Amino acid sequence: MFGFLKGLGVTLSQLPRKKVTLQYPDVRPEWPERFRGVHRFIPELCIVCHQCARICPTSCISLSGTRDENRKMRIDTFDINFDICILCDLCTEVCPTEAILMSDTFELADYTRDSMYLDMHWLYENQLRYERAHPDRVTRPAGGEQAGEA
Amino acid sequence: MDLTRAQQLPVIEYEGLTPEENAELRRAGLVLAPLEQLKAWARSNSLWPLTFGLACCAIEMMGTGASHYDLDRFGIIFRASPRQADVMIVAGTVTKKMAPLLRRLYDQMADPKWVVAMGVCATAGGPYVRSYSVVKGVDQIVPVDVYIPGCPPSPPALIYGLNLLQEKIRQEARGRKVSAR
Repeated sequence: MFGFLKGLGVTLSQLPRKKVTLQYPDVRPEWPERFRGVHRFIPELCIVCHQCARICPTSCISLSGTRDENRKMRIDTFDINFDICILCDLCTEVCPTEAILMSDTFELADYTRDSMYLDMHWLYENQLRYERAHPDRVTRPAGGEQAGEA
Repeated sequence: MDLTRAQQLPVIEYEGLTPEENAELRRAGLVLAPLEQLKAWARSNSLWPLTFGLACCAIEMMGTGASHYDLDRFGIIFRASPRQADVMIVAGTVTKKMAPLLRRLYDQMADPKWVVAMGVCATAGGPYVRSYSVVKGVDQIVPVDVYIPGCPPSPPALIYGLNLLQEKIRQEARGRKVSAR
């Protein structure tokens, strides 16, 4: 009987404490700054060095670019296959111009596998979303910001 | 008798019917919701997944079921037997040795049944995409309803995927085909 009351005392002492449950679809989680979500990509910074595609352990990045009139490489296509991307952050670490970065987007579940093959435009949209959500975390050169606002 | 409280209660309004027809149905005490939609409502609010953890995704799945994210809020209660389960969350790497057992567990589940591929291993092989022993996507063995990318997906991502599955069950009961979002 004493043991029963002792156990119930533990239960009762927990009652007035704050609830720990995060009401997810209503309340969004606050991720730390270095959370590894879906990538974001800034096309004007990319110099098509292929380092991200080479370091990728699952080879899920494919990209192509051409030389413009000033003999600078410009990105044409940049696709990430999120079927096999393991969000390991290695592409972000090797990128010399920080054109590819991680965001805090995580809602990528879908009914088909086709829609997980994301291109440059989606990833740039993700960058714009990230800038809107966290204006204090983003530091970009002036040219990039103008292109972002346009 | 004071009926003001009863008049303030919410009433069922059907789409596609005039207010007069709705009032007539309420007077007659009829529930006109098609049976399939009613069943889908019940099914989508009591998804019982099979505890089927194969790798590190299972840890996230357990964390989602625990108090911080609390899958019980959606009526998602883990069952330890395929006979009692509605949905199989394939959480982790499916090796070629495990594949026949996965198929057997799927066959043992009672209809209606759904499959959620959690994580990139179950979706397409993930980091083992060049391995000799890993099935490249669980959809080669069982039909998959929702794919959740991530390695492993965070608990909110899993909840998002399960909410998509609930939405799919409700939409399909209305005769709509659910495709990519």
